[in-house]
Amino acid sequence: MKNRIEEIRKKKGIKQDEFAKLMGVSRQTISSLETGKYNPSIFLAHKIARYFELTIEDVFIFEDDI
Amino acid sequence: MKYNRKNIFISIFWVVLGVVLTVLNFIHDFDSYWSGLGTAFIVVGGIQLARQMKYRKNPEYRERVDTANSDERNRFIAGRAWAWAGYIYVMAGFIVIIVLQIAGLKELSQTIGFTVCALLILYWVCYLYLSKKY
Repeated sequence: MKNRIEEIRKKKGIKQDEFAKLMGVSRQTISSLETGKYNPSIFLAHKIARYFELTIEDVFIFEDDI
Repeated sequence: MKYNRKNIFISIFWVVLGVVLTVLNFIHDFDSYWSGLGTAFIVVGGIQLARQMKYRKNPEYRERVDTANSDERNRFIAGRAWAWAGYIYVMAGFIVIIVLQIAGLKELSQTIGFTVCALLILYWVCYLYLSKKY
């Protein structure tokens, strides 16, 4: 699953470690999310989208595997 | 903090148990196994106690530990690591059992076979429990 976290975060001028603190996760988690190595739980996805004042679909790009 | 206090008590318990084992061994002169175990308890308990005290006194460290403990990626990785470790243990166990049988070490082969079977039974028990829970 792709996402626009890095793009939106940079637009807002927030550093990875600051953003991680706000989301209550480690900086490595944010890094892994941004590189697409790790897919977040629905709770974290919701928290991130709500922080950016966007919907989950705006931040995360769902791709059909079929 | 409540959790931290519980961990401090557990750490103290290990240190005390270690001291008791070491002293008893010193008085009765059992064997090196008990004094070794006692020393191990003292070291592990001491390290845990030092960590808990740092957690209590250092807010930065506390925040770092809390984040690491609640971080969902960390939990995901820990779960996957246990799953991998269990799978590798079972697969390696099967190979070792066959090799030991061929080498004529039947008793050792059986012992390892029992531990592999115990792990598989434990897996199924956990699976049934979790499938009912979720």
